[in-house]
Amino acid sequence: MKKKLLAATLAAAMTASLTACGGSDSAQEKGDGVSITIFNSKIEVQAQFEEMAKEYSEATGVNVEVYYSNDTVAAHLATRYSSNDPYTLSMVDAKDVYSLAEDHAIDLSGEKWVENTNYALSVGGKVVGFPVCVEARGLIYNGDAIEKITGEAFNPEDYATLDAFQGLLEKLAAGGMETPTGIMKEDWSLAGHFLSEVYEMQDDVDGFITSLHEGTADLANNAKWNGKMDYFDTMMKYNYAASSAIAAEREVSEQKLAEGEIAFMFGGNWDWSMINAYEYSENMGIMPVPENTSDGSNKKLVGGGSKYFFIDSSENTSEEQRQAAKDFLNWLVFDEAGNAFLTEKCALVPAYKNIAAAGLDPLSVSVKSYADAGNLIDNYNYLPDDHFSLCGAAFQKYLAGQMDRAGLAKEVEAYWASTAPVER
Amino acid sequence: MKTNTMSYKCKQFLMFAGVTTAVFVAVVIVPFIYGIYLTLTSWDGVSKEKPFVGLANYVATFADGAYWQAMGRTFLYSVIAVVLVNVVAFVLAFLVTSGVKGQNFFRAGFFTPNLIGGIVLGYIWKFVFNRAFVALGTSLSIGPLSSSWLATTGGAMLCLIIVSVWQYAGYMMLIYVAGFMSVSEDVLEAARIDGCTNTQSIVYVSVPLMMSSFVQCLFLTVTRCFMVYDVNLSLTNGEPFNSSVMAAMHVYNQAFTYKNFGVGQAEALILFVVCAVVGVLQVYVGKKGEVSA
Repeated sequence: MKKKLLAATLAAAMTASLTACGGSDSAQEKGDGVSITIFNSKIEVQAQFEEMAKEYSEATGVNVEVYYSNDTVAAHLATRYSSNDPYTLSMVDAKDVYSLAEDHAIDLSGEKWVENTNYALSVGGKVVGFPVCVEARGLIYNGDAIEKITGEAFNPEDYATLDAFQGLLEKLAAGGMETPTGIMKEDWSLAGHFLSEVYEMQDDVDGFITSLHEGTADLANNAKWNGKMDYFDTMMKYNYAASSAIAAEREVSEQKLAEGEIAFMFGGNWDWSMINAYEYSENMGIMPVPENTSDGSNKKLVGGGSKYFFIDSSENTSEEQRQAAKDFLNWLVFDEAGNAFLTEKCALVPAYKNIAAAGLDPLSVSVKSYADAGNLIDNYNYLPDDHFSLCGAAFQKYLAGQMDRAGLAKEVEAYWASTAPVER
Repeated sequence: MKTNTMSYKCKQFLMFAGVTTAVFVAVVIVPFIYGIYLTLTSWDGVSKEKPFVGLANYVATFADGAYWQAMGRTFLYSVIAVVLVNVVAFVLAFLVTSGVKGQNFFRAGFFTPNLIGGIVLGYIWKFVFNRAFVALGTSLSIGPLSSSWLATTGGAMLCLIIVSVWQYAGYMMLIYVAGFMSVSEDVLEAARIDGCTNTQSIVYVSVPLMMSSFVQCLFLTVTRCFMVYDVNLSLTNGEPFNSSVMAAMHVYNQAFTYKNFGVGQAEALILFVVCAVVGVLQVYVGKKGEVSA
């Protein structure tokens, strides 16, 4: 009998521990009993988030748990939603907000931080996305490497036109840096980040995309297309990996750039997380892509809010949890500790006007200066999901020399014509 | 106690296989059927509604040129890889059972690649193809080695095949080793007395007697090659120009990256059917060839 009792107790204990691991219970034993979960989709700041969660829990009594997944954001959230176990707060990309918000996000229009940012995301007239940071794309330069050869101070504004830029590259090549540029061959960089600038810099972006869908756009004779491709050809000409451009590894290119073996590469301020792994030069930054134009676009970076928090609206999240999540967002924007977490610990460019950011990395400093001056061209957030992959493949052919500019223009046009417009 | 009643049999079954069956149904059968249902919807993976669209996803699948290209590529890759893996494995197995010095060490050595996970393996070989071979090729000025194979369309496929052979040959070798060991010494001795040469005794005595090893190895390699994903992801990631995207990777991209869940699921189902048909057919044909001594 005793044995049976023991067995029964053991079994009960084990079952209890199992349900405890399930994590779907919102009840908490300690504190005010509120517990929220946060999904973080920026791997580079996961450690900082976990540390912050501990401190935040101690300070406020709200139990915070932070999760990360290697899956793509949409795929991971899909599994959490289908198992009825969503995160209270999820950090996602803009396109995920558009696809998720209607079913899964609560209205944040009444929040105080909305007035302090230019980058909040709205769906159907309601603010649903809390911008986590500002990110922008452009040409990353290594000023120290350039100055070492030219012997004069490098001022990126002097090279807004392609002619001036080509002159500088020639000088660098003559001065000993024979191949001063690098090109990322990844499809998300070529098509997702670079090719999309062609759309984003059109006067009427939506109209241009519509004309691409309808097949009436003429890329080959489009000024922006040719401007960007002229720049790209220049980069290809001076590419350190010209003979095997599509085998160039991102790590190698970033290292060469950081250490000054090359001086220019197209990228964004997120590249800092790779550059700072090497012996980097301090005098680095991001400049607009050079182009022979007078429309001013060669004085601006492309970017804006990046990564958005939304709060789950399902019945799996209680009102208290939602309030705790809102409090957390306010803490990020209006509390000194929250500000310090965003800008100092995570080194993110803040998307809020009231946050002064000191101590950012060189690339983020560039981005912030462009953002503060209003010199950011908006991201186009409605690219179809397969755009980067299919157009990226065509762009890689161009990079490998297996396709000419006209051929690439045709491929891109064919892609758009065969793709259904994104619903919005 | 009566042992031939229905209730007794049921109890017996539940006692021995009940839990396993329940788990199997829960994690394999139910998701499979649910998956079939999903092929009939245009679900995007996250929204609450799963609009029913009938067979539209299958129509889209048949119209998806990239999918059939990936299928064709997978066929080609599988045929070459399966043949090479088994030939190499068989030769290795023969060598390490023929009594060479330190054969246990060799067995362990050849098996080791199989212990490294596919993702890690891909990254290691990416380094070898992109850096080590290129450095070697440039310093010794060997033309074909001086630029990365991974950057050319044919080269990327070749790399995939090389890595697969390297990965699986050791594992299959173990099965062939077991096959060689199971052939009894008497039969071989009898063959020798009858005047068989070494080659003859392998071809006419050992091979027919170890047919079950062949069936197993072929089945394992065929299914693994058809479903290849991890090495594909870490070694080439479909590059260059999406020319090394295998069927499984295309299915993943279609469902999760392009967010066409229904189409992706339908394509996965077709991949499953193709794979199952090839696998079962091959086992059936192989079984017929089995003999017993």
